[in-house]
Amino acid sequence: MITLDTHRKAAIITKMARLLRAAGSWCGETHLQKAIYVLQTLTDVPLGYEFILYQYGPFSFDLRTEINACEADGFLALEPQPVPYGPKLAATARAEALHARLPKTLGLYEPRMRFVAQSLGALGVTGLERLATALYVTEELGPAARLDRRARLLRQYKPHISLASAFDALREIDGLAKKCAAIGA
Amino acid sequence: MKEFHEIRDPIHVFVKLADDEREVVNSRPFQRLRYIHQLALTYLVYPGATHRRFEHSLGVMELATRIFDVVTAPGNVPPELRELLPELTNSDHLRSWRKILRAAALTHDLGHLPFSHAAEKELLLPDCTHETLSAAHIGSPEMRRCWGAMKPEPRPADIVKLALGPAGAAELRPRRRLSAWETILADIIVGDAFGADRMDYLLRDSHHAGVAYGKFDHYRLVDTMRILPAAPVDEKEKDGPTRPVLGIEEGGLHSAEALLLARYFMYTQLYFHPVRRIYDLHLKEFLSAWLPQGRFSVDPAEHLLLTDNEVTAAISKAAGDPAAPGHDPARRIVRREHYRLLYERSPQDVAVNRAAGGLVFAALGRQFGRANFRHDRYTETSKPTEFPVRMRDGRISAATALSTPIANLPRLAVDSVYVEPRLRDRAQAWLDRRRAEIIRPPAQETDHDHAGHTP
Repeated sequence: MITLDTHRKAAIITKMARLLRAAGSWCGETHLQKAIYVLQTLTDVPLGYEFILYQYGPFSFDLRTEINACEADGFLALEPQPVPYGPKLAATARAEALHARLPKTLGLYEPRMRFVAQSLGALGVTGLERLATALYVTEELGPAARLDRRARLLRQYKPHISLASAFDALREIDGLAKKCAAIGA
Repeated sequence: MKEFHEIRDPIHVFVKLADDEREVVNSRPFQRLRYIHQLALTYLVYPGATHRRFEHSLGVMELATRIFDVVTAPGNVPPELRELLPELTNSDHLRSWRKILRAAALTHDLGHLPFSHAAEKELLLPDCTHETLSAAHIGSPEMRRCWGAMKPEPRPADIVKLALGPAGAAELRPRRRLSAWETILADIIVGDAFGADRMDYLLRDSHHAGVAYGKFDHYRLVDTMRILPAAPVDEKEKDGPTRPVLGIEEGGLHSAEALLLARYFMYTQLYFHPVRRIYDLHLKEFLSAWLPQGRFSVDPAEHLLLTDNEVTAAISKAAGDPAAPGHDPARRIVRREHYRLLYERSPQDVAVNRAAGGLVFAALGRQFGRANFRHDRYTETSKPTEFPVRMRDGRISAATALSTPIANLPRLAVDSVYVEPRLRDRAQAWLDRRRAEIIRPPAQETDHDHAGHTP
């Protein structure tokens, strides 16, 4: 049975979509998936989704179901785009009304959501794939693992990412992790 | 001796089978599928829907092979993808993968529990699904003998990946990751958009249930399927890496729209039929009471011995014996005394509270006793509208940018409450009077609430 925790999850997902759009993100499902992955993994927002490595990096089938539910329930709207691009997602007025009912929850997590939106908003899916996969391998090997070892694993998972880009992405993730501590995440 | 065997089929006319593949069909895990209904107890609502996983699995193999042959035909592969997928240019590899694909299509449903999907989550141990059981059967000594006799010999690990797809393979421990090529082949079988599994079940379920909703031009669709670069997800991706995925030529777009609409109507009219759904719930209640420790065994040998036949016999017996475990749900199934639909999701209620069904269920339970009600909730898990289309001018586009029906396809959801038949009128009258006070917006958080927890 649905509980208010599900309302809170919907509030966080839709708020994240709104903040991503405000930060310049295209905000299709792929962008939202990567942002929620970073939000959950790097800033410890307890959403409980399980992610696997997929075509564009970390991906959660549970989160896909929740995004589908948000669309079915009118909290997110799919906005088709001109040829040849994929659709965007937009938080609706109904989502805004939900946000207004949950000020405590959003107040607690909004600084982290803003941090993620500002960090990822300018990236397209290729950049998001690089950064989110860098975080994924860091989680897999542990933050103490050497940079070159993490870079090799990242390249193993995503051979189209150059070694130089892999190093850059891992350094960026390490930098974001440090900034997270500064915002209390 | 014949090298190929032909099996007549109401959907595909003939399903062709090689000698060594017939050994797979003759194996115990595959023969078991003769006794697993494709649509569980749906035949209690649509009497013709008595078809089994056996013929569906044969149909998936036939369709998957047709798709494979079309998308790997040399003239159908864009040159830029040949470098990324070297398997396409090596005829020995291609022949070998075709064999693996057929084996995977044939065996993708081996792990199904009695009555197919009904109640799988609740009646298996955590981390176990019908996909993990399929993987166990594919790797079993009996099936390994079948694989060992094939030429070229497929590796069970490859069959498992293609049969389960990325989502199913992620359920295995250790997790299996699929390469781009393996993902394409898995999508041919179990893909969200137009996998052979989906195409076959829509056509077959529609045929047997006697409803026309599931029909679409699958010949045209298969002929226009291609391996294509993924459509750009956003403007920044224009210069990104080429990612090969399954898509279609623009000439097949109307067939793809027809498939997706067929799927939508089949879900809303047949799969989500309220009586079918409540029979699933009663079946789950029976199994929960009847099975040892309330769960299915995950031992493949025991799994082999349990089919719809054994469960149906047990239901009949329990229905006539008030002292038998599961007597009440068994009686409801056998005598058609199932719970009746009392409340179902409406756009107006969802606008007030997405958990409207849960609120109604809780309120009715408090008033009349929880045992007199059942709550059924489901949200669509896949996203079948994301695939690339090669336009007539050669450009690749997202399907949602080209097709209004695809872009506007509603998401599927169920949120229903059922009532014990004798209580229906009283409960309905009570609910009608109090509906507005029951279905209210989510509680407003105050300073006293602890964020993130249910009050």
